[in-house]
Amino acid sequence: MYGLDAISAHNGWHMAALGISIVFTGLILLSFTVAQLHNILRLFDNRDAYYKRIRGLFKKNNNKQEVSDSDLSLSNNVKEAAGQCKLLIERIGEPFPLPRLIELSEKCGMSHPYSTINDLILAGFIVPDGKGYYVWNQDEQN
Amino acid sequence: MENLLMEFISNTGFAMADYRHIIMITVGIIFIYLGIAKHYEPLLLVPIGFGILIGNIPVFKGLGLSLYESNSVLHYLYFGVTSGTYPCLIFLGIGAHTDFSTLLARPVLMLLGAAAQMGIFLTFLGALALGFAPKEAASIGIIGGADGPTAIFLSAKLAPHLIGPIAVAAYSYMALVPVIQPPIMRLLTTRKERLVRMEEPRVVSKREKIIFPVIGFLLCCFIAPAALPLLGMLFFGNLLRECMVAERLAHAARTSIIDTVTILLGITVGASTQADVFLTPQSVGIFALGAASFAVATASGLLFAKFMNLFLRKKINPLLGAAGVSAVPDSARVVQMVGQAEDPTNFLLMHAMAPNISGVIGSAIGAGILWSFLGG
Amino acid sequence: MPVDINIINSLNLFEDLSHAELEEIVSLMRRIRVTEGEAITRRGAPAHTIFIILSGNFMVFFKDGRSYTLHNKGDVIGLSTVVIPFYYTGTAVALSDGVVMSMPGQELLRLIESNPALSDKIMKKINQIIAERIPFVTGRC
Repeated sequence: MYGLDAISAHNGWHMAALGISIVFTGLILLSFTVAQLHNILRLFDNRDAYYKRIRGLFKKNNNKQEVSDSDLSLSNNVKEAAGQCKLLIERIGEPFPLPRLIELSEKCGMSHPYSTINDLILAGFIVPDGKGYYVWNQDEQN
Repeated sequence: MENLLMEFISNTGFAMADYRHIIMITVGIIFIYLGIAKHYEPLLLVPIGFGILIGNIPVFKGLGLSLYESNSVLHYLYFGVTSGTYPCLIFLGIGAHTDFSTLLARPVLMLLGAAAQMGIFLTFLGALALGFAPKEAASIGIIGGADGPTAIFLSAKLAPHLIGPIAVAAYSYMALVPVIQPPIMRLLTTRKERLVRMEEPRVVSKREKIIFPVIGFLLCCFIAPAALPLLGMLFFGNLLRECMVAERLAHAARTSIIDTVTILLGITVGASTQADVFLTPQSVGIFALGAASFAVATASGLLFAKFMNLFLRKKINPLLGAAGVSAVPDSARVVQMVGQAEDPTNFLLMHAMAPNISGVIGSAIGAGILWSFLGG
Repeated sequence: MPVDINIINSLNLFEDLSHAELEEIVSLMRRIRVTEGEAITRRGAPAHTIFIILSGNFMVFFKDGRSYTLHNKGDVIGLSTVVIPFYYTGTAVALSDGVVMSMPGQELLRLIESNPALSDKIMKKINQIIAERIPFVTGRC
């Protein structure tokens, strides 16, 4: 059997249509998932900030100032951040490992912990102790 | 003694050869020549070419010399082809070799990889119309996927007697991508379209690259479970590459494993093209349909890219559609070459890699679908 | 993205090299944009790539929490690519958005091996940098 009859007899039209549809469906789904992947990861990275925002909605009138790892809210303004980082450094103790300070700032919901701490280093608030750790520079603060 | 000598002479290749052996040996020499002198896919054409020479030395049956004799060494090596083992191991190496970041940076380009797979299904219909049985038609159609290992895998599962011509056709056309694709690309695009510049892709984080093979595997194989052997190995290889803690395994997969398997695959596929099973009218049909399949796949990708441009705010260069056929990285290089012929400062290679790699995924899904439709 | 030869020439690491040598080096380099918080090397991973800072700020930290920061154009990250132990001894993270040049370590090694004069010039500089950093790597501060 040849020609269109052969295609119809072997169910060719259906197989081809279904086949290409499944290929498209698979790659469209994969494409959509991949396109959202970095957004999902960003959401996951900032989950503390989102939790805090959601919690804030329920606790509007709660003015209690608790200094704990997760309740600190830090801004990106260098001077303000300096004060807030100082609090974190007091918790860690001096000299402190820089990665630990970044980790803690991130947990506290600082939106740009890396660049904020970099600004503090460049501004002289945080200085190396020469042994691989860092200390808070009192002179700069005054 | 005279009888013994006459018997020996009658058993030499000179006495047993006929014109078909000469034709096939010439084909083998042409493959070796194209690989060495013209650098057309030398890593494939040289082993296949030499395999053709091995397979077409006329031998007498019963000594266990021919690939098709069950007790021959070549037959044991060929088991990797007929069982589908070699293609899967090659996919492991491809995964360990491939950086998916261009695809992750611009996932919409994956659709071009899907569009180019239309070549597979249209050729399937064409082969049915020419009188091939459905299983044979599916194996011929997959040539349009431009993916040698996938074509061999599906043929091994559906039409093992056609592995030789299908593999030779697939690899020949893959080697000829720089000759086949450019005229179609120029025909279907305007100069203005070929000049379109692509946006610089965003930076892809390491975490995305690690997560992708896991998500990609789960998603694709839940949709088309029959693609599991190929895609499982592809994504596993990629996870080894990206996870950073298994670098030794990734290195082995992308070097020694893929190289060893390529040698074994090339030589046995070449040897399977024995004149009496290869030089048939069917093979001529397979070659003609294979060429059509390649052309249709290229055209489908290009036209779909133009179709996407109707909806996209930031237009894509339609040449990228031609990279949807999964001959990696040759078709992406052809896109770069044709794009640069119009504007030497337009770099399309990295953008073309996205449809190119998704073409590999798409053709493996296509093969899985055809296997599940017809494998029973 | 390819790298401009003038940029390479202005860097301390390559300042003594001839034009031909610089051209060879440039052919191996790619410009890469990095974003704040992105890790460009990870401690314990095989060192395949060496990075040279063009802009931005970076922190390299070690297992015990010791770290140093790099803020200058021309600072080098990933020297383990060309010297033992050939795996990254520290994790390098971008403290701000920036641009680095990356160079495959194997290619650089091949270049160094095939050109003794070039090797001498570059390895001297690399040894200087390593001598400054070794206390952090070994924890002997």
